[in-house]
Amino acid sequence: MSRVAPARQRAGVAPRVALLLAWFALPLVPLLLWAAADRWSYPAALPTDWGVTGWRQALDQGALPALGRSVLLGLAVAALATPAGAMAGRALALHRVPARRVVEALLLAPVAVPPFAVVMGLTTLALRLGVPAGVGLVVVLAVSAVPYTVFVMRAAYAGHDIGMEEEARTLGAGPRAVLLRVHLPLLAPALATAAFLAFLVGWSDYVVTLVVGGGRLVTLPMLVGALSSATGNDAVVAAVSLAAVLPPLALLLATALLARRGAR
Amino acid sequence: MPSSRRHLRVPTLLTGAVLVTSACSGAAGPGATGGPSTTAPDRSWDEVLAEADGQTVDLWMYGGDQLGNAYVDDVLAPAAAGLGVTLRRVPVTDTADALNRVLSELQAGTDDGSVDLVWVNGENFASGRQADAWLCGWTDQLPSMAYVDPEDPLLTSDFGTPVDGCEAPWHKAQFVLAYDSAAVTDPPSSMTELFAWVEANPGRFTYPAPPDFTGSAFLRQALYAVAGGPDEVPAEFDQAAFDELAPELFDRLAALAPSLWRAGDTYPQDLAALEELYAGDQVDVTMTYGPATLAQQVASGALPAGTRVLPLEGGTLGNASFLAVPVNAADQAGALAVADLALTPEQQLAKADPAVWGQYPVLAPDRLPGDVAAAFAALPSSEAVPPFEELSRDADPELGAGWVGPLEDGWRSDVLGAG
Repeated sequence: MSRVAPARQRAGVAPRVALLLAWFALPLVPLLLWAAADRWSYPAALPTDWGVTGWRQALDQGALPALGRSVLLGLAVAALATPAGAMAGRALALHRVPARRVVEALLLAPVAVPPFAVVMGLTTLALRLGVPAGVGLVVVLAVSAVPYTVFVMRAAYAGHDIGMEEEARTLGAGPRAVLLRVHLPLLAPALATAAFLAFLVGWSDYVVTLVVGGGRLVTLPMLVGALSSATGNDAVVAAVSLAAVLPPLALLLATALLARRGAR
Repeated sequence: MPSSRRHLRVPTLLTGAVLVTSACSGAAGPGATGGPSTTAPDRSWDEVLAEADGQTVDLWMYGGDQLGNAYVDDVLAPAAAGLGVTLRRVPVTDTADALNRVLSELQAGTDDGSVDLVWVNGENFASGRQADAWLCGWTDQLPSMAYVDPEDPLLTSDFGTPVDGCEAPWHKAQFVLAYDSAAVTDPPSSMTELFAWVEANPGRFTYPAPPDFTGSAFLRQALYAVAGGPDEVPAEFDQAAFDELAPELFDRLAALAPSLWRAGDTYPQDLAALEELYAGDQVDVTMTYGPATLAQQVASGALPAGTRVLPLEGGTLGNASFLAVPVNAADQAGALAVADLALTPEQQLAKADPAVWGQYPVLAPDRLPGDVAAAFAALPSSEAVPPFEELSRDADPELGAGWVGPLEDGWRSDVLGAG
């Protein structure tokens, strides 16, 4: 395929991309306005006083360390759930798995069952086993992220040409070289997508972080939840929410770019 | 923002579920089966302080109140550090989250729990007591309790549940109505007169729709009025009393509805919406459970300069909120040290400053050292809000938490839409 898409094809893509961007951006508009509003009284269509009070309050309420903890939690969840999803996805797509339906159902179960219902039981279990709160938190979130990573990796392996690896082997590459130089590069876009989804699970969780984590890790969603439960906090809630929304958006763009490069 | 806003809600399904399961398995029977003891060990205060040194206390509290968060982070925590105690604030959306964590730890038999201190009152305190989740009989050990009046009814009973030394007082709140003195020249002086005033001035009054916290408090205040005073309403919910009193209340409010703002077709959704209406001169009266915010809003120009608290005969509702220690708190001594610190005249004074938090002290003025009493008197006062002693002179006790749900349900079915 040529590196530049034909003009006709691009013309068809542009409106769709614009629509998609609007879909993502529209809910952000009031957030952006509120985050820049010092005062916004009811009937006015736009903020009556502009300013950065919301952001200053967000800093006062500990948004910066919370951001750092959210990033750490997201990364830890992605680090566990992505390889697990890749291995399960590969097995399901390329190998004969006994009792396949049962395995698939088990892998998808965490999505089907509402986390809120499971969390209390899991907390008790983790406490009885003496699992440290932080470890329990990452493990529970990684398990709820696995369905997404399995789904992505299974699709990727279904379209993966194992012949490439065999060819490399015939040409004399060792298993390690095949993995690092053929297998992983081919699957990098899918791995990035899977890791992104797993990161989001850790990044955006509230219930598990609070209940299983035992309050040791105050993350951005906890700040957003606590602050937004009161009236009159609109500016600071907007600022904290933006801080919670923008990093995943940036990551999404990055993974999308990576996926496009991989597709060529 | 009144602290109690989040404490009054019916406990979540989860709390109920945990209560049931723990009752069945008997796992959370502290004291009975070798679980954590429900009473604090008897020891000298010096021993408590020595043990507290080096501990980290996790204070779980409703995190929606920015001034409250800042007070804990910037004033209380540094003072705790002076005792060698690290104070960490865990912000929760609802105090029930903290109770849920404690209950699941108790169910699992964990004795080094992650919740050391909880800002609580009302329903969550009552649920915790039912489950034996709170450490009891420890408040007498706190040296600062010497400044508290042991007979103060607001501090001995928490929304109808006896406190019994299972939580240390933290601050008081007072429900008030406020009016614009520039617009209202003949302010009513009782709830009954208020109703008459509303009918004489149609469209100039409304209240937030329950279950908004403030609207719900207005409902209870109105119930006292139609019943003929707090003494006529049993504090503990009682179906017979409800069946007798509630119809009268709902009839009165339904009859009032056509004289409300927009003829009672709609009500402001929450206190913020009522404040908008009041600030925008759509109505002449507003109300709040946190009068200190009123003083701030008048000072900042958000509310009219003529705003004055409406003095009501027979007083208005008052309540207190508390700090409780779970039976399985890992840093129990540290939690006690912080609860005592929070009660010291210095902390209560700092917290009472409207620029810091503006929460009313729980200390008895006649028990305070002279200079501290003077400092309280010298706190920035507002023309809009009378001093707390005057506000709370005949504070009405809060009704038991069991009343809240039935009153709100009845209002929805019998009053809403009656306009």
